[in-house]
Amino acid sequence: MATKPKAKTKKKPTKSDIANDDIGEEARLELWRQQLIVRHVEQRAQDLFLQNLIKGTTHLSVGQEAVAAGFGVAMQPGDYTFCTYRGHAHTLVRGASMAGVLGELMGRECGLMQGKGGSMHLTSVEHGAMGSYAIIGAHLPIATGAAWSAKYRGTDQVSVCFFGDGTTNIGAFHEALNFAQIWELPVVFVCENNLYMEYTPIGDVTAVEHPAADRASAYGLDRIIVDGNDADAVYRTAQTAFAKARAGDGPSLIEALTYRHYGHSRADPATYRPKEEVEAWMKRDPIPFYRQRLIDFGIDASVVDGLDAEILAEVDRVTEVCKASPEPSPDILHTEVYADGGSAWRN
Amino acid sequence: MAELTYREAVAEGIAQEMRRDPNVVFLGEDIGKAGGVFKTTVGLFDEFGPDRVRDTPISEQAILGAAMGAAMTGLRPIAEIMFSDFLAVCWDIVANEMAKTRYMTNGQTTMPVVVRTANGGGTRFGAQHSQSVENWAMAIPGLKVVAPSSPADVMGLFAASVRDDDPVVFFEQKSLYGIKGEVPDGELVIELGKANVLREGSDVTIAALAAMVPRAMDAAEILQADHGISATVIDLRCLVPLDTQTILSETSKTGRFFTVEENPRLCGWGAEISSIVSEECFYDLDGPIVRITTPHIPLPSADYLEDLAMPSVARIVETIRTSSD
Amino acid sequence: MPQLGETVTEGTVTVWHKKIGDTVKANEILFEVSTDKVDTEIPAPTDGVLAEIAVAEGETVDVGVKLAVLSEDGAAAAPTDSSSVDVIMPQLGETVTEGTVTAWHKSIGEVLTTGDILFEVSTDKVDTEIPAPVAGVLTEILIGDGETVDVGTRLGVIAAEGGVAASTGASRPSSAQATSTPIRNGNGAAALMRSVRNRDSRGLPLSPVVRRLIAEHGLNADRITGTGRDGRVTRRDVLAVIDSAPAIQTGDDSPEIVPLTRLRKQIGDHMVRSKATSPHVLQAVEVDFFAVDAVRAAHKDSWRAAEGFGLTYLPFIARAVCDAIADYPNINASIDGDNMIIHRRINLGIAVDLGLDGLIVPVVKDAHRKSLRDIAREISELADKARSSGLTPDDLTEGTYTLSNSGPYGTLITAPVINQPQVAILSTDGVRKKPVVIEGPQGDSIAIRPVGVLAQSFDHRAIDGAYSGAFLNRLREIIETRDWSAEI
Repeated sequence: MATKPKAKTKKKPTKSDIANDDIGEEARLELWRQQLIVRHVEQRAQDLFLQNLIKGTTHLSVGQEAVAAGFGVAMQPGDYTFCTYRGHAHTLVRGASMAGVLGELMGRECGLMQGKGGSMHLTSVEHGAMGSYAIIGAHLPIATGAAWSAKYRGTDQVSVCFFGDGTTNIGAFHEALNFAQIWELPVVFVCENNLYMEYTPIGDVTAVEHPAADRASAYGLDRIIVDGNDADAVYRTAQTAFAKARAGDGPSLIEALTYRHYGHSRADPATYRPKEEVEAWMKRDPIPFYRQRLIDFGIDASVVDGLDAEILAEVDRVTEVCKASPEPSPDILHTEVYADGGSAWRN
Repeated sequence: MAELTYREAVAEGIAQEMRRDPNVVFLGEDIGKAGGVFKTTVGLFDEFGPDRVRDTPISEQAILGAAMGAAMTGLRPIAEIMFSDFLAVCWDIVANEMAKTRYMTNGQTTMPVVVRTANGGGTRFGAQHSQSVENWAMAIPGLKVVAPSSPADVMGLFAASVRDDDPVVFFEQKSLYGIKGEVPDGELVIELGKANVLREGSDVTIAALAAMVPRAMDAAEILQADHGISATVIDLRCLVPLDTQTILSETSKTGRFFTVEENPRLCGWGAEISSIVSEECFYDLDGPIVRITTPHIPLPSADYLEDLAMPSVARIVETIRTSSD
Repeated sequence: MPQLGETVTEGTVTVWHKKIGDTVKANEILFEVSTDKVDTEIPAPTDGVLAEIAVAEGETVDVGVKLAVLSEDGAAAAPTDSSSVDVIMPQLGETVTEGTVTAWHKSIGEVLTTGDILFEVSTDKVDTEIPAPVAGVLTEILIGDGETVDVGTRLGVIAAEGGVAASTGASRPSSAQATSTPIRNGNGAAALMRSVRNRDSRGLPLSPVVRRLIAEHGLNADRITGTGRDGRVTRRDVLAVIDSAPAIQTGDDSPEIVPLTRLRKQIGDHMVRSKATSPHVLQAVEVDFFAVDAVRAAHKDSWRAAEGFGLTYLPFIARAVCDAIADYPNINASIDGDNMIIHRRINLGIAVDLGLDGLIVPVVKDAHRKSLRDIAREISELADKARSSGLTPDDLTEGTYTLSNSGPYGTLITAPVINQPQVAILSTDGVRKKPVVIEGPQGDSIAIRPVGVLAQSFDHRAIDGAYSGAFLNRLREIIETRDWSAEI
């Protein structure tokens, strides 16, 4: 059975929409820019993988850019991001360099972690990207702990935790939600429901229709569903949740409906998805959708497309930087196992 | 100099660190108002309040995940897992997350967290509440593993664990909670990775850990008195970092090496240490290395059976005597 | 051929979108590939001209196989700097640090295929031929024949065929050292240990530390009283001996420690086994070599002239042994489990001294069928071969009785160790002139006669003293009474 997009594409904005715009041109262009960075870097990752320059596995967010961008733009410096192995997007939108991300995927010295983590563990602590966690569910309690720390230290930092629909069926999801709520912690849980856990439709293996939102009430939380392919909608939802968190009113759980254009990982051609479902969602590709949104709000097409060309050129340049970067030094094989910088477990 | 029980030393050790550093926080099941199921945390809630001594739901993944997230963002949390058997419930956080994040991020994160847990047998609790699992932790790169045998070591090693920037799994041997020992006055910190030579002998060297330390000491007295065998006893105190220099030098002096382990036989910590000794001081050995361990079985509950399973003083004496003549 | 999934091992090129000579832009679709998991279009990795298509449409190849060459300047793939491969001095052993180029097999400009012998190298551990690592053209020789350089030194350069894929990044050498851990057991201890067997002469095990201490202090385990299990020598026993030794030892007085040779260890094993296997009994007879000496004196010069070596007592004794065995065949036997094998052939082992290296026992086969002269020649030949390492395995097998000759050193009597699985061995000791009582028709008289002892160790499992004694008596009789001149 094909799952059609539930959220309807909004009609063109009315005059009143434009007159009462709560987002503004600056934020919109930033949302556009972040979505383009994610789109072009991830497409390039796919190309480099086909050229055998990226080994191992990669999990792309192509098609889901609006979620990462909407939250990323709404976040403040100092806020924490915790994401999954499908975490290129969330790391990039916090400002991590494209060369750091692509270089890490390619296993080069210029990578964010010089190749010690790889695609599934992108981290840039200086940008608040506190890590990509490749064991389903693990990072929900960890993000909760960062929120506890922020609250204990008396800062207004928010901890944002991205995960997929499949995560809602593992114990750590439920432990973390309960924990965050009883301690009223400033953590925002974001479930990106792309309809498939890995290869299996989430509906086939979940007791409720909305795997995150329908569980929210069990933890005293509001049921929040947002169109994950509309960056404006995501941005507004994020702002609301962040305001609640910073006010000391505790966590939020948000389910963003979206769709991935590629399979689960590079090994997956996603042949299990019905053709009409794929076609319906491709029509709702967040990139052309948001381009039209910008033009509808009166932003000149040359500005919109100029940004696109500029970012693509930058991705091209960065690609060459990464190709030219050497493999990591063998010296780092044994470093940073322990806090003394080394790996000595004995004297 | 004060006499404390091992149990009191746990609470005093936590308190010493919480008084010193406001970033030290403590969470776990029943640790606050209830004072801990083993009464190891009595008085902490009253002294430090609910913000720093936090009762949690029965959610081991959330407890350790929260401790990790807090450790990555500026706090120095102490997390209690009531029984070390329960580490299996949240082993992902210990083995995959706390242990590996520094390496995977090439040093971007620091993980100053202590996971305290009641470990080991001798309390007739059966197979799911009596395991000795320090070897699990020893097998994971990135963790430090501490297992004290006396009240003074509990305090001193605990302080060093809290101040350490790496994740430390701190194994308290639950059958030792009632033992008493002298603890020096004032701040007590014992460097991690330094074994303690408790007794020096000339014929055999025995390495032991936690509850096996007092048994090895008793055995050494009997070996001397009844069989004329003079034994060195090393309390390892830490498995990671491992004080191999002390193990090797004490073995070289006697030519014989024995381990006394609570771990079930296969891949107990003594296997790794025996391998190090045979590789690195083979030409000082006067006989085979012998491991005295719990058999490769789950621990039974009945006191008679549990005592049969765990290395006893009599078994230590008999094993060393028969393989030393 | 890219790896289009973790478990994909091969792919089929379905369509080439470009042909040779086409200009290609980076990310332009170059070809299509089909695997069991996915069908997809593959973009060009870089701008360039398609210079070569190595795998045609429809062909299936393994992941990693070169499919095509994109040339950046449009030229066919000619060797360039970017495609050159250094030839380096290989590490031919873990402890080898340098090597000598003994001969280049190729000269500059020569075309190489992978595996062609490129040069020869000699190290203190091994001499070997080194094949070309890649196909191409040898463009440079940096280290000439006869030069010795460190491992890892560039010796030459090969312009590789085709070219190396652009932009794969600089490869780094793997660092074996990076994963090693220090070992406290120095090589010194291990080398010392090899000079001490792991059991003493009673067959009791010696522990590692006992062996090390014995080696370090030049002690003999058999001379240390063991107090361990079954009387084993323990560390404490050795330390007691060391502690009781004279305290002051200057460096020059310390014993020299020489590892046992393989031959010495084999001899040792054999001797220990023999002593442990056979209850040895020694019997000896005193023999008057008057008759032998008379013949030796008479033929001394002519023999040497004819044969090129001296005529000694040994061939006489060997000949006499054969004849005595004919009367006492159980001397020429071996023990095999519960059976005694009495040999019809008499194959005489002759112990040949090799100085400090040890001794070796070549065999005169079918000695009973050979004349004294033939036996003498064969003993001489075998001894020469033994001393020039020219013995074949065949020369050393099938012995049935052994002669050990200490006579040249003037020994009085030697108790030889049986050469297993034989049952007896004869020592021929020194022959000296002595006053001897001669019984004759005119009564007893005293004469000066060349007299020597023949001593036989026999295996008491096989035979008894009476039989052995009778054999020895017969042997003496033959030596003393035979008309040896007829044998020459």
